[in-house]
Amino acid sequence: MPPRIQPSRGLGSFLRTRQSHHRQRYATAIGAYTSTPSHDDIFLSARPVLKFPSTQPPSHKLPEFRKTQLLRQYASLLQSTPLMLIFQHNNLKSMEWVGVRRELNKALQKVDEARVAAGQPASENMADGIKLQIMQTGILAAALNIVEFYDPTAAAKVKKSKKAPATFEDGFVHVLSKAAYEATAGKGKKHALSPLLAGPVVLLNFPSVSPAHLKAAFSILSPSKPHYPAPTRRASPGWHDPPVQAGVQKLLLLGARVEGKVFDVEGAKWVGCIPSGLEDLRGQLVAMLQGICGQLTSTMEGTSKSLYLTVEGRRTMLEDEGKEPCVEEVKEEPKT
Amino acid sequence: MITKFLTEVSTVFNPFSPKAKPARLFLSFLPPNARQTMKVTTILLPRASKDPSLLELKFKDGKEMKLDPELLGIKGVTEEVNRHSRMLGRQEALQ
Repeated sequence: MPPRIQPSRGLGSFLRTRQSHHRQRYATAIGAYTSTPSHDDIFLSARPVLKFPSTQPPSHKLPEFRKTQLLRQYASLLQSTPLMLIFQHNNLKSMEWVGVRRELNKALQKVDEARVAAGQPASENMADGIKLQIMQTGILAAALNIVEFYDPTAAAKVKKSKKAPATFEDGFVHVLSKAAYEATAGKGKKHALSPLLAGPVVLLNFPSVSPAHLKAAFSILSPSKPHYPAPTRRASPGWHDPPVQAGVQKLLLLGARVEGKVFDVEGAKWVGCIPSGLEDLRGQLVAMLQGICGQLTSTMEGTSKSLYLTVEGRRTMLEDEGKEPCVEEVKEEPKT
Repeated sequence: MITKFLTEVSTVFNPFSPKAKPARLFLSFLPPNARQTMKVTTILLPRASKDPSLLELKFKDGKEMKLDPELLGIKGVTEEVNRHSRMLGRQEALQ
C-alpha cells in the first residue's frame, strides 16, 4: 500500500539538512567563547532553539509515512490494552464484518446494562471501548518488540551517562526515537506472540480485564459448548442471520495477551471463566487472609490462655502448699 | 489457487509454532463462500504441543490428499492442489 502522504523531495532534503544546520550553530557557539561575544551570539546561539513542537519529538523514520504512524499507534495500543484477543480472519466480506461487529456490540451493551442494574457505577461501562481492529502484522510485531524489550527509562539513563547530545536525534527515548529503533531492530529477539502475527490478523481490544465482557465476546465470536454457549435465537435473532453466521465461522481464535502474558485458546477461555472478575478474586483473597488472621489470633490467644491457666493453677497450688505450713506456724506461735 | 473442486478441508496446527504458517495461510486462501461449498474443520493444538501441522483435502472426484504443509510450504501446497484441480477442470471441460 502506498503511503497516504507522499513526502516531497524538497521535504526530505530539508530534513537531512536540518542536522547539519544544528551542528553548525553549535560550532559557532563554542567558537564564541574564544573571542568577545557579540550581541547575536549571546541572545541567539547560547540558548538552544527548539526546532519542533514539544508534543512532536523527532522520529527516526520519516513521520509522514503511514508505517511510522501505525507503529506509534500500535505501540500505544499495546501499552494501554491489558487484554487482547487475537483472531485470524479468513476472507470476511464487508457485510459479514458489519454483522459481527453489530452483534458483538449488542452483547457487550447487554453486559454493561446488567452491571449497572447490579449497582456498579455506569462510568465503568466499557462496551464502547471494546473494538475489533484489523492489524498490519509486521508493524504490530515491531511495536510488540518495542513495548516488550525496550525500556525507555533505562535508555534515558544511558543517554544521561553519556556526554552532551552529539546529534539532533540524540536525547530522545520515545517509541519512534532512534534509541528505540536501535534497541529492537534486527536484534533477533522474538516475542512469544510473534508466530501468531502472520497472515490476516484481527485484534479484539479490551480497555480493562473484565471477564464478564470477555465471556460475552467469546459467546458471540467463538461459541463453545460448556462455558460459552451461543446466544439463543430468541435472545439475539440477529446473531443467527446468515451473514453473521458466515462471518463467525470464518473467525478463528488463535490466542490472547492478558496483562502482558501470552495465553493460548484454552488459557484465554479460562480467563473468561473467572466468575466476576478481578474484584471477586481480590475479595476471595481478602476473605482467605482474614480467615487466616482470625485463626492465628485465636491460636496465639489459646496458647497464652493455657499458659496463664497453667501458671495460675501452679500459683494457687503453691499458695495452698505455702499456706498450710504458715497456718501451722501461726498456730504454733502463741505456744512459744 | 483453484478451490472449485475441493469438498473437504481439515487442518490441525499449533498457532504458536512458526511452522503453522502455511496451514493458516491455506485457510486464508479459501474464498469467502468456501464454507457453503465445502466442509472446513480446524483443530487448534495447545501451545505446548509439538505435533506437526496437518492438512487433509478431499476433491470432488473422491481423491484424498494428505499434505505436510511444514515440508511443502504454502507454495508447494497450492501447487499440489492446483495440479489435481487442473486435471479435474480438464475432465469437466471435455464432458
